[in-house]
Amino acid sequence: MQIIQEALAGTLESSDLFVRVSPSEGALELILNSEVQNQFGDQIKKVVEATLAKLGVSEGATVIIEDKGALDCVIEARVEAALLRAAGDKSVDWESMS
Amino acid sequence: MSDGLEFLTVEPASDPAARKEIVDLLARCGLDYEKHIEFFVTARQEGKLVACAGFEKGIIKDVAICQTLRGSSISLRLVSEVTYLAHSQGYQILFVYTEPHNADFFLGCGFYPLVEVPGQTALLENTPVGIKNYCASLAKLRIEADKIGCVVANANPFTLGHLYLIEEAARSCDWLHLFIVKEDASLFSYHDRFQLAKEMTKDIANLTLHEGSKYMVSRATFPAYFFKDKGMVGQCRTAVDLLLFRKYIAPALGVTHRFVGTEPFCDTTRKYNNDMKFWLQEPSAVAHPIEVVELERTKRSGIAVSASHVRHLLAAGNFEKIKEFVPQPTFDLIMKKYANSI
Repeated sequence: MQIIQEALAGTLESSDLFVRVSPSEGALELILNSEVQNQFGDQIKKVVEATLAKLGVSEGATVIIEDKGALDCVIEARVEAALLRAAGDKSVDWESMS
Repeated sequence: MSDGLEFLTVEPASDPAARKEIVDLLARCGLDYEKHIEFFVTARQEGKLVACAGFEKGIIKDVAICQTLRGSSISLRLVSEVTYLAHSQGYQILFVYTEPHNADFFLGCGFYPLVEVPGQTALLENTPVGIKNYCASLAKLRIEADKIGCVVANANPFTLGHLYLIEEAARSCDWLHLFIVKEDASLFSYHDRFQLAKEMTKDIANLTLHEGSKYMVSRATFPAYFFKDKGMVGQCRTAVDLLLFRKYIAPALGVTHRFVGTEPFCDTTRKYNNDMKFWLQEPSAVAHPIEVVELERTKRSGIAVSASHVRHLLAAGNFEKIKEFVPQPTFDLIMKKYANSI
């Protein structure tokens, strides 16, 4: 999946996260900022990376996450939504979402 | 929502009732209402306005939350709402000015510090990689030498004064970086200003022409510059722009000297030049000092060549006089495109 535009998902409220995806040149860049970085930073990163891999985003994007202590399922949903928005409609791989 | 908060975007210019409430809320929070702000995100509780955040062209301003709700989650929702509003208008990177003691509020909302003028103001942006990526792109154009100069010009329009300044600066340096202010808020469009600069400097071998950016003499870093014709010089805030240059841009390019022309006419530019000596040269732990070189303006018929003077002549329709102050390509463009627009 190719990232063609900047997109947002989520909020900054407690138990949610704010995801900002933008196109970039070169390698995939993931920046994670979490209220619970020390305890769950690695786990959050794992969920985000798995979601990126699922949607086939491996380069050409910057993903910035402000996490306010969201659960894994919320993280996945927000990241997925942001990526789909950032890819526009045409390149969405709907099968991977089932 | 259980807290009964309702969020709504209002345009104060067309909604006097909402505007009055915003003015009152800001006043209770010790803030002045800025009438240039196009949009406010407002939060209401039981019909009463309890929080607001203004948004104008990529900059968040006039953020107020009534006393009783401070420290609650309302701030995070407010900032989320403003971010979506900005996004819907095509603004991805947002800036916010705040008093340094309030910076923590925004640091908790996904903002990151850029520069601080101690005791006065702090500028933050809502991405941890904005300035970093910009500097990384500049660093690719870095030239290693002892004396690296920099000129930042609006060139509105490009005059013989700019040409003189740039040629003199290039002559006295190993390499010169020239930036053209990118903000499209001047009489001459950015495209035209940049193209003229490109044309006029193409034969200078030790010069790199750069596009300007939002980190340099932009609405975000130096709002007063673009309102100078509207008599807002007194509020001119130059420190933020100059500190950004010193802390990020100059180190990325290895700039050691910044060149400016003396300013005979425009108060804003004159203040900027004077402030430059202070904010760029004053010893500081933040970044190395940059030497400011002020070159005497070149003159024609006894009058210092300046873009603001050219604009006055243009407004008066005095084309013969303009010819003395600008190079041929600028004159051609004025006649072709701008002579009838006044």
